[in-house]
Amino acid sequence: MQAVEYFEVECPEALGGEYYKQIANDVLLDHNLLKVIDKLHIFIDPKVPVFVAVGLLKKISTRVRVGDFANVNPLEGKMTLVISDETYLASMLKIFWERFGKEKVEQPDRFTVILYNVPATPKEIEDIVVGDPSESLHKDLIYALRCIAPEGFRLRSEIFTGTKFTFVASENTLAEDIDTLVAEKFRLMGEVPP
Amino acid sequence: MTLVPVTYKGGIFQHDIVVDLIEDLGGYIVQKHIIAQEVVLQCFVPREDIELIRQISRPLFGEVTDSPLVGTEIAIVSMSLEIHHLPHPSCDIAEYVRRLGAKSNMVSLARGPGKRIAGLNDEERDVINEHDIAVYLMGNFETCIEYKMPTLRRGIEVPIVLCGGPDKEVLERIIDPPVEGYVGNVGRFMRRTKEADELAKLDEIIDEITRVLEKKREEIAKDPLSVYPARLMGLIREQIPEILDVTSPTPLTVQIAGLRVKLPYDTFAERVKKVAIEDGITLGEVAEVLPSRMRDYVIVKVLPFSETNIAV
Repeated sequence: MQAVEYFEVECPEALGGEYYKQIANDVLLDHNLLKVIDKLHIFIDPKVPVFVAVGLLKKISTRVRVGDFANVNPLEGKMTLVISDETYLASMLKIFWERFGKEKVEQPDRFTVILYNVPATPKEIEDIVVGDPSESLHKDLIYALRCIAPEGFRLRSEIFTGTKFTFVASENTLAEDIDTLVAEKFRLMGEVPP
Repeated sequence: MTLVPVTYKGGIFQHDIVVDLIEDLGGYIVQKHIIAQEVVLQCFVPREDIELIRQISRPLFGEVTDSPLVGTEIAIVSMSLEIHHLPHPSCDIAEYVRRLGAKSNMVSLARGPGKRIAGLNDEERDVINEHDIAVYLMGNFETCIEYKMPTLRRGIEVPIVLCGGPDKEVLERIIDPPVEGYVGNVGRFMRRTKEADELAKLDEIIDEITRVLEKKREEIAKDPLSVYPARLMGLIREQIPEILDVTSPTPLTVQIAGLRVKLPYDTFAERVKKVAIEDGITLGEVAEVLPSRMRDYVIVKVLPFSETNIAV
């Protein structure tokens, strides 16, 4: 948990809280989210029942460029791209097709893409932005929090604003004063609610 | 002659010697797996002949180990099929009991999770009741377990082993009337059980299941069964050859006091009833042949001696 500044699980049942801390840690680790979360406070009360997760995200703006995962080798009118990570391959190909046309882009195997006579320098190719991991961040985070929350808690309310997030779940209709509870949990972390 | 459940592991070379030996000694082979060059036999053998099997299989590098769960069918009752409970811990536990020779089925409830909303329907209840024992895998909070357990055990007649997050003492306190077995500190978790302490926990579950099944076997021994279920297995295989075409891993599943035959009930029930045991006694006279709630299978429930006055 070295990357997270504040991580607490609050629960009237001490042992249950301990297990949920472990679950939260495992899930966030599995989903690669520990490095984007700055603070996280989880509150569970099985008697009500209610599950509240509030937290802060780190600011990340690392846009992925072609140069980050591919080597561009120009040679006599053609450019050979050697791919080391396939994650953004599909979106990269889509951009190439739109910009240069399909006839100029060839992919002989999984890790090689060849561009023929394209009107761009290798530097320009390397600088093309192909993806932004922070776009899907909120979606991933909601999914992870759904995994952490007890399964029966299917009535949910989620608020995601920039760097702050709130996730409330219960199996009963959520109480009207749930915002007070959320605000209280933000104060425990030394933050103001969104 | 008391038959004890054991597992034989050895090379495939000349393993038919061991198979013949077990059958000649009056034992029964419940399951046979051939995995690459290795053969695993789960069988019942006479207690006094285990040493003989060890001696004869020594040149074949075979080893005989006790496996108390051979010949049992266990229901692992998971609260749902969501990512919250699968693959850990439900599959880990189901797989672990399988290693010890049991046939485990995962019974996942349609409306298991939650506290107030948890429920058990009639199909789930009947399917669980067809097993020898039910292992309930609950969550981490004692409040929820205490609240939902009366609903989830309604109508369940087989022994229950309850696994949950709270300590064993807490589980014993909150469950009323008590169930047959408890294992504490095994609630919901999201990682694979591979550390020593986690494996120790799985062993604890096995011990608890074994203890409860042992008690059930003792109960049955007071009024013995008219026929040994493993014996029926061999007879059905001989007399209804269609069973050999069933692709299920265990077409005939042996239970402590019965047998699951994985053939359609409508077509085969009469033929199963007419299976001859010996001296003109048929299976229908010593056992009930009923439709199973699991698919369209046949379930055979062997009757005790006191009801049939027959022992074969």
